[in-house]
Amino acid sequence: MKPKHSTLFAGLMAMVAAVVLSAVPETGWAGSDVKRLVFVSAGFDESNRIWDVSKPDHVQFDPYLETLLEVDPVTGEYGPRLATEWDHTPDFKTWTFSLRNDVQFHFGYGKFTAQDVEFSHSLMIRDDSLATLAELWRQVDKVETPDESTIIFHFKSPVTRTTAEYAFARSGDLKIVSKAQWDKEGVDGFDRPAGTGSYEFVGRNMGLDINYKRVDNHWSGLTPAFEELQIRLAKEPATRFAMLLAGEAHIGDLPRELHADAVKRDLKRLSSAMAVDWVSVYLGGMYLESDEAFDPEVPWTNIKVRQALNMAVNREELLDVVFAGRGEMAYISNWTSASEGWDPEWKELYEELYPYDPERAKELLKEAGYEPGDIKVGLWGYTSPGESEHPAIADAMGIYFRAIGVDAKVELLDWSKVRAAYRGKKIHCCMWPNVISWRPAIQGARNWWWSGSASNVFNSEFIDEVYEEWNNTLDTDRRTELARSMGRHLIESFAEIPLFWFRNELFANAEVVDGWAYPGLGAGRSTHFDRIKPASSAY
Amino acid sequence: MVDVTTKEAPSFASPRPSTGWRALKRYPLFSLSILVFFLLIPAMFAPLLAPFNPYDGSLGARLLPPFWEEGGSTEHLLGTDKLGRDMLSRIMYGARVSFTVSVIAIFIGGIIGTILGLLSGYFGGRTDSVIMRLVDISLSLPTILLALVLSAALGPSFMTVLIVISVLLWARYARLVRGETLAIKELDFIARARVAGSSHVRIMLLYILPNLVNSLVVLATLQVGYVILLESTLSFLGAGLPRAEPAWGLMVADGRELIVTAWWVSMFPGIAIMLTVLSLNLLGDWLRDHFDPKLKNL
Amino acid sequence: MQRFIAIRVLQSLLAALIMSVIVFGLARVSGNPLDVMLPIEAMPEDFERLEKHWGLDKPLVTQYFLFLGNALQGDFGESLKYQGTSAMELVGQRLPATLELAGLALLISAILALPIGVIAAVGKDSGWDIAAKVIALLGQSLPGFWLGIVLMWIFAVMLGWLPTSGRGGIEHMILPAITIGWFQVAALMRLVRSSMLDVLDTEYVKLARVKGIPEWKVIWKHCLRNAGITPLTYFAIVAGSLLTGSIVTETVFSWPGIGLLIIDAIQARDFPVVQAVVIVFAGIFIFCNLLVDILYAYLDPRIRYG
Repeated sequence: MKPKHSTLFAGLMAMVAAVVLSAVPETGWAGSDVKRLVFVSAGFDESNRIWDVSKPDHVQFDPYLETLLEVDPVTGEYGPRLATEWDHTPDFKTWTFSLRNDVQFHFGYGKFTAQDVEFSHSLMIRDDSLATLAELWRQVDKVETPDESTIIFHFKSPVTRTTAEYAFARSGDLKIVSKAQWDKEGVDGFDRPAGTGSYEFVGRNMGLDINYKRVDNHWSGLTPAFEELQIRLAKEPATRFAMLLAGEAHIGDLPRELHADAVKRDLKRLSSAMAVDWVSVYLGGMYLESDEAFDPEVPWTNIKVRQALNMAVNREELLDVVFAGRGEMAYISNWTSASEGWDPEWKELYEELYPYDPERAKELLKEAGYEPGDIKVGLWGYTSPGESEHPAIADAMGIYFRAIGVDAKVELLDWSKVRAAYRGKKIHCCMWPNVISWRPAIQGARNWWWSGSASNVFNSEFIDEVYEEWNNTLDTDRRTELARSMGRHLIESFAEIPLFWFRNELFANAEVVDGWAYPGLGAGRSTHFDRIKPASSAY
Repeated sequence: MVDVTTKEAPSFASPRPSTGWRALKRYPLFSLSILVFFLLIPAMFAPLLAPFNPYDGSLGARLLPPFWEEGGSTEHLLGTDKLGRDMLSRIMYGARVSFTVSVIAIFIGGIIGTILGLLSGYFGGRTDSVIMRLVDISLSLPTILLALVLSAALGPSFMTVLIVISVLLWARYARLVRGETLAIKELDFIARARVAGSSHVRIMLLYILPNLVNSLVVLATLQVGYVILLESTLSFLGAGLPRAEPAWGLMVADGRELIVTAWWVSMFPGIAIMLTVLSLNLLGDWLRDHFDPKLKNL
Repeated sequence: MQRFIAIRVLQSLLAALIMSVIVFGLARVSGNPLDVMLPIEAMPEDFERLEKHWGLDKPLVTQYFLFLGNALQGDFGESLKYQGTSAMELVGQRLPATLELAGLALLISAILALPIGVIAAVGKDSGWDIAAKVIALLGQSLPGFWLGIVLMWIFAVMLGWLPTSGRGGIEHMILPAITIGWFQVAALMRLVRSSMLDVLDTEYVKLARVKGIPEWKVIWKHCLRNAGITPLTYFAIVAGSLLTGSIVTETVFSWPGIGLLIIDAIQARDFPVVQAVVIVFAGIFIFCNLLVDILYAYLDPRIRYG
């Protein structure tokens, strides 16, 4: 070619190359380029039937179904959402909500009204309802809807403000669905439920994923940054990790073991605003002495043994090992500063009674009449999706107990077995760790310590007396006093082996997600999907 | 699977062992040595050879890498696991566990299968029909599923694993033994023994059984590897041995989310399984080729 | 022949029946689905109410006959976990995914095993033979879940060539199919090799060689055709190990097939689904066994038992 032509040719080639190279996306990972945000979860009960799904699995509803009240993503306070105002009668038995009148359901199912709330509530109390708060919903005697924007719930017994707000807010399970849809499609409508959220339900592939699409002009004025959302399911932690690293998923939950490595690989940690879960180890066989299942031969019915077991645990080390130091000491199940009856003095009490002192522990065992090797305990670990810490904790307990001469054997079972055993009061042999989410103090007392429940974790007559009164008193001061006394009683009685409070932690691709403000208190732990902030670049 | 012997046994024409590396390949020295190294020595001498107790660890020493990596030390040559337990010791004790499980399961399955196979082949008729029907049924049970459900019912335990594996194995022995018994039964010396008044039991035990030994040994060898793999799969699915045991399968399952981060927790037991099973398979293959080509379709 | 088939079919049905009893019994003994489904808040009354609702409070024998009666009509009940979906419907939804994977796995193993088997047979006892054996045996020596995770990390994360998990196009199927399929390669290869060896030894082949037919033609055209019959036995076993392999592989690769379904169902004590899946698995096994037996009986009259 003549020189002039060749230069021209080279120039042309260079231009073509430039165009081609600029068209090829860099990594495609910049937040602005991502049309569909993928959140990979360890798994949950896949169902659109809101009355069949327990709270932790409500993560699948959070994008598209809403509740009457909101939980603030940063402070955890209850605020208005579909309801603008709410109040109760002096006897706390009647709660009235004023509802928004500018909310539309998806798929053209019309305006949101009080009838929809009434209908949604009726689903919670179906015969086959598995809803977490079904018992509370069944306490509703009568529902009145004097007009479109007002609904009145009459409860059979008083419901405190904490409990009511907790239940009606995003932390509860009363998700609002459309009555119009039910009237038209019946239960089949739940194949594609219409909601009021800022995402709408597109479809699901069982065992694989759920898809949502952003809704325009949501009543809140808040538009989610990502046009499409997908929740993917992957049981294997290694698979979820692989997906995050390969860019197939943008946010995911990983077991604690992988957190350090995730950080090393530049994944961004997204913590819930509050510590929402705690883990404790519960002791089997702690029933009322009058209960026929009670067996005084069980070593830890002796308070000295319980104290010894607690002193054998090196909590600092355990926190480091299992949670990489990210957590706080729990003094007793379920009580935080947000709980009724919380007493800051418990800190001192706890430090006095629950130090790490294996030598003293051995002494206590001797005082109780047990030689090394006399006490045998089974430690039952199990895994649940999203809660992977149990086996590690069971293993660690085994190490600590063996160090003080208790013969501990760790077994890995599944939740069904463990629960069946403690429910059936057949768990005298063993102890089990459990990760549980915060609920109002009175609910906690009812679930675990009151002898009429199905848990039978630690019973005593004192607890039953206090609970009776506490459940029936409306005087706030008296309630606080009672709650406080129960908490103290539990701590002093070494009712369990309390461990830590910790936050929900997710990991995200830093090039796609910049942040996510969520409280952790929402039903489903990971909530407020519309608050996921994309990584800047073009935004 | 039907036992088909459509051709007569080819002649015993194994090539003459020649010198050099051809001889080496011909004799399963390689596999034997791996076997000895990985399975038998640790299995027998683990308490003496292993540097640490496989059950106890210290949380402060958890997830230490092998000594050649940064952060590793020669105290724990192959590193430590999630609970600070020494990997090398666990692998050694694991050889013992794997060996024990396989041997016992194969023993149980083999004995049951051999007895039933003998009875079936020797007596024929109704006994044969019933037993072979049991065999067919047994072979059509989806064992892993049964193991999962059984384990969900009874909890993971040594017994559960043994039962499951024995149930899986016995049918193959029964089939094999029946087929061979059928063939041997027709031979002259058996007829002579009958005429001479030997009882059935005597004939089965003294005349037929010894001729089966070769095949049984080959089958058993081939099965050990399979049993080890099966145990590890069951452990992965949560239906295997109880957690505290240093079984290879459990160890791989335990480290599964750490496969890229603390890779040694899963990798070393995985390699142990692989080498052991591989060498057993090679050994079994060689045994079969040289002792009993009739089994080639196994 | 007719009689043989009839007997075998009856036998198969008996096997299926026994399976159903075993699984039913074990499943019920394994626990209570309510323990998995009900939240911590549930009180004893809630358990009672729901037990009644699902008929779990009836005596075991009654439950079994109710189950059997319905099962014979094809109704395995409603899933306890995925309410509103019948157990068989769930199985029907997920089975195609597993069959897809199994099919690809079978294909991959056949594609690998045939040439390896032939090469091994032709170069008997040579380096090729040993190498082939080792490669194939490697597949049988690696725990499936370990192989799956390692493959995933190498090809999906480090190299980025394939997706890590989930179901989609064929690129999603490759890694899981290899994980399941490699195990089969050894067995199939062994079979191909031994049948080839037998055939290579025959007069027919010797004649072909004498006639001057090129070696490659001898091997590929003449031998393979005759040797192909024996691997039939393979297909009975294959069904079994493919389905078994799918359980582990689907868990690792999040492949929404029947293996993953059964794992979830067992954990959730979802009896109807567990029963349905096990019956389907057993049914497939039994059917394949039956098919192979009939084929063999057809080919070799000696083995029919009357």
